[in-house]
Amino acid sequence: MNMAWKEIKKNKGRFMILGSIVFLVSFLTFIISGLANGLSQDNAALIKELPDGSFYMDANADETYNLSKIDPDTQSNLLNKQAEAAALSIQMGFLNNKNDKQQSVAFVTSTDSSLFPKVKEGEVVLDASMKDTGIKVGDVLTNNQFSGKFTVKGFVDGKKYSHAPVAFINSENYKEMYRTEEMQLVFVPGEDKAQSVAGLQAYSKKQFLHTIPSYNAEQMSLNMIVWFLVVISGMLFAIFFYMMNVQKIGLYGILKAIGVKTGTLFKMMWTQMLLITAGALSLSVALSQGFKLLSPDGMPFSLTLDTTIQLSIVFLVIGFIGATLSGIQIKKVQPLQAIQQGEV
Amino acid sequence: MAIFTIDEVKKTFSNGEIEEEVLKGINLSLKEGEITALVGASGSGKSTLLTIAAGLQPASDGQVVFEGKNISAMTQEQIRKIRASKFGFIFQFAHLVPFLTVEEQLELMLDVSESTLKKDERKKEIDRVLKLVEMEHRRHAYPASLSGGEKQRVAIARAIIHKPKVLFADEPTASLDSKRSKDVMALIQRLTQTLNITTLMVTHDEDMLSYADRIIKMSDGMVS
Ligand SMILES: Nc1ncnc2c1ncn2[C@@H]1O[C@H](COP(=O)(O)OP(=O)(O)OP(=O)(O)O)[C@@H](O)[C@H]1O
Ligand SMILES: [Mg+2]
Repeated sequence: MNMAWKEIKKNKGRFMILGSIVFLVSFLTFIISGLANGLSQDNAALIKELPDGSFYMDANADETYNLSKIDPDTQSNLLNKQAEAAALSIQMGFLNNKNDKQQSVAFVTSTDSSLFPKVKEGEVVLDASMKDTGIKVGDVLTNNQFSGKFTVKGFVDGKKYSHAPVAFINSENYKEMYRTEEMQLVFVPGEDKAQSVAGLQAYSKKQFLHTIPSYNAEQMSLNMIVWFLVVISGMLFAIFFYMMNVQKIGLYGILKAIGVKTGTLFKMMWTQMLLITAGALSLSVALSQGFKLLSPDGMPFSLTLDTTIQLSIVFLVIGFIGATLSGIQIKKVQPLQAIQQGEV
Repeated sequence: MAIFTIDEVKKTFSNGEIEEEVLKGINLSLKEGEITALVGASGSGKSTLLTIAAGLQPASDGQVVFEGKNISAMTQEQIRKIRASKFGFIFQFAHLVPFLTVEEQLELMLDVSESTLKKDERKKEIDRVLKLVEMEHRRHAYPASLSGGEKQRVAIARAIIHKPKVLFADEPTASLDSKRSKDVMALIQRLTQTLNITTLMVTHDEDMLSYADRIIKMSDGMVS
């Protein structure tokens, strides 16, 4: 006989309260995690979408790619070793459309590599989000530091940097705009372990992301909120089951007296925890996926089913631990006490 | 024939510095199919003796022998198995499970005793026992909607559904009025006889003693 389910059925209200709290907390967690992910994409999709590999930066640049200048000889040495490797530079700037309206972009230029779009002089390839501002293929854009004009050659999906759309330009144009001969970074894909190169400092993709100051700050605070919510929900489980168990101490004692195994009582509690959590989680998974469709276009929100499922598993594990900790009372209760305590 | 023997059982409680010997060497044997009533002043150790006999707490000294085996020397799990399959319990309060219907209370006990009955046999058995305690009309009711006497009758049904060898009853009628008390005692008597159960009962109520086959008086931790 399924006592766990029978109790839920008889005490719907009580279990609904727990269920709705779990639902609210997990829903909030999913949304914030979606936001964290969305912002991280918005901030660094350009870097995140690259394959795993190593970034090389001037060792004297103090972990700031903007200050990095890579010696051309060192650069060609590195690039010769790996066909896909690329040297690149990133600078924030503006593009003006034909009405002289300014649009903030991240100018990116790179040496020949299949990882980045190939752009001829006088051309620009833009992130697809620029379409929303009314820019079309063939439009002509200008920049205040650039003597020529940029013709829009095409669009690429999901290339953003520092919350701005990326504009890929040719390195000759870049050199003119920013009056520099050197590139800032070299990226070598597929390296498990970075080579040590004199005068350069190597970073894994993840390490490099964390050298971007805004990225670090954003992700840290959002992830902190996510983990706080997870921990809070674990405590909620512990407290809720603790209160339920305290109320049922007498009952547990009687059940033990008539010969019910302690393990059976634990299983009953676990079943209830699983049923409630699974119900609440499926609702919030469904709603958060729905939220993804409904959220306004400009809102950086990215919640994959994978992330939701991973978080759901964390919730289940935390709920299990919380419930089990509070269930230690079940183990402790002596049948005799309950009998002597009178009516339950 | 004695199926249950209590042999030189002693129990000492220590409250800090003070040691109190509540049972001072009890000898008692229960005969199959008999109701044995334990009487005595409050605090004389009746409940203590009953719970030790039922394996709910250990004795400080002595043996409790059931079907030739010494319960006092068994592990918790072994004792639990005996309680689940061979013992039945009735307490002063019914102690029913609040979220199970009358029928389900009995089903639970069949589960606990690991009954090998098949589904339809189970149903028949539950019907039979409910009829015995005259509660078949309330089979779908939850405990909260039952009167005190009805609850106690369901508790009795739960105590005997798995055909225990020994029934332990600690003041089973204390929460009932005298009419209901008599009904319940008559029921216990009838069950003891028809199912050949051995019953050990504690009672304060003089009127109930007429249902007992044997009366054991306790005073000052000894039986007489
Ligand atoms: N767990 C315990 N710890 C300490 N002392 C106890 C404990 N259980 C019982 N006692 C003491 O043992 C004595 C006998 O208790 P018991 O409950 O067996 O009496 P009783 O005969 O059933 O009384 P009543 O008729 O009031 O139910 C009492 O003095 C009681 O205080
Ligand atoms: Mg007592």
